Amino acid sequence: MNCPRCDDHRAEKIFEAPENAVWEVYRCPHCYFVWRNTEEEEVINPDLYDPRFKLSGEKIAAMDHKPPIPPLKET
Amino acid sequence: MPYNSLRDFLVKAEEEGQLLRINEEVRPEPDIRAASCAASKVQGGPVLLFEKIQGYRDKKVVMNVHGSWENLALSFDLPKHTGVREQFHEIARRWDSYPVPSKRVSDAPHKDVIIEKNISLFRELPLFRVNRMDGGFYFSKGCVVARDPENPDIQNVGIYRMQLKDHDRIGIQISAQHDLAIFLRKAEEMNVPLRVAVSISNDPVTSFVASSPLKYEEDEYAMMGALRGEPTEVISSEKGDLDVPAGAEVIIEGEIVIRHRAVEGPFSEYPGSYSTSMLQVEIQVDLISKRKDPIFFENLYTGLPWTEIDYLQALNTSVTVFKQMKADFPEVEAVNAMYTHGYGTIISSRMRFGGFAKTLGCRLLSTPHGVTYPKIIIVVDEEVDPFDLQQVMWAMTVRFRPERDVAIIPNAPASTLDPTHLVRGLGSKIIIDAAKPAFPDIPLSDAALVEPPKETAFWMEEIKKRMEGLK
Repeated sequence: MNCPRCDDHRAEKIFEAPENAVWEVYRCPHCYFVWRNTEEEEVINPDLYDPRFKLSGEKIAAMDHKPPIPPLKET
Repeated sequence: MPYNSLRDFLVKAEEEGQLLRINEEVRPEPDIRAASCAASKVQGGPVLLFEKIQGYRDKKVVMNVHGSWENLALSFDLPKHTGVREQFHEIARRWDSYPVPSKRVSDAPHKDVIIEKNISLFRELPLFRVNRMDGGFYFSKGCVVARDPENPDIQNVGIYRMQLKDHDRIGIQISAQHDLAIFLRKAEEMNVPLRVAVSISNDPVTSFVASSPLKYEEDEYAMMGALRGEPTEVISSEKGDLDVPAGAEVIIEGEIVIRHRAVEGPFSEYPGSYSTSMLQVEIQVDLISKRKDPIFFENLYTGLPWTEIDYLQALNTSVTVFKQMKADFPEVEAVNAMYTHGYGTIISSRMRFGGFAKTLGCRLLSTPHGVTYPKIIIVVDEEVDPFDLQQVMWAMTVRFRPERDVAIIPNAPASTLDPTHLVRGLGSKIIIDAAKPAFPDIPLSDAALVEPPKETAFWMEEIKKRMEGLK
């Protein structure tokens, strides 16, 4: 399964509706995007996902830490 | 009569005609978001109780609890049509009872079921995508409880946005100016664990205070007690030593994974735009305690203002900042910090002397909230009601002198969510003095105000009555 947001191919089903399995939830292990298979096509289809919100390994590597991790304090 | 739980409040809201049951089946997306957006945009918008969620037989979703002035008034046990200014002054009055310490109890409904194995928050909470381009399923009304790792007597209860990343993994946004960021920095410097408990679905005063910018050492539970008029009941978490609200539906316990960040966001935030994705903090969940089914799950809709978040972050911020400023400057009469979480703030005050408005603006910027959020600060005289924008604009047009009454502070700390930033976390502030010039400043030329005729009040009533007769 391809992630709609970062196109990583390792996305997997991780959950289904407790009642009658009427929907399934998928998760991407690369960008942690989570989606339900009953959502709008623009959310679940990689080709229709808004390009402004697409992620890539390069974009992730350039992200800031919030908040920054401080240096260890010497004891 | 204060409410001990969200359920108690729902009963009251229904009695007062402020609760709407949606009993047909709704899809997690997009039905809940659309109805919640609509509820916050309807005048006097009700609490929505979704009774039948597709795929979750044993869960109900509650939205828009704080999403109108009427709901907010009921949460403080005030008549539902109490005006905004009256609510401000009533909350400010109750504030003076602080501290009303919490009361520890030995049992609570959420201790009915304890889960330590095969934890799945997808199963326990009927989560959904709040807005279409959010990076996941968010819940933003959970109250996060933690203790200062160096000084465990200091406990904080705060609201932070949370993204479910996996069955037992939560992303959390901790901004540098928040108390939890101070706890986190200490834990990461010392390389020690930081336990947290997240209280889901609480009585409305709990979330009101948890999202108030109190001082670092102030006790949120003791403030809840002051505003509720009686102590808030708390119970110990199962692990660690945290006090959690006894009335909660669900408590999620876990540890912040220290010295670790992972992709989080974007999320539809209070400026009305999506935040960017950043590498943020995560919580590893190791225990859930909950009521027996059904679970009432409360979540928050955030969108293009005004939506529920704008009602929630309004009077709690205004009263907190007002009290902090008034402690130093008793001239301050009221503060309205309800525009985009206080990016726009109006201070009403007597003027001690010329230039005093700038002093007040700087004091605002040194409160815990003011350090980052306020960007446009307007200071008006005490007779101008800061909750009446017609009056504020009148003061701006006839009191403000553009060549003398502006101070701009460049390159100052700012909200990381402000879309106008050039460097994230930095921004400019403007203080606008729209008060009458006071000695030794040059007095106004035409300072004699036109007084409304003294019979005006009589005629207002007459006109209202006669207009009713025309209907």
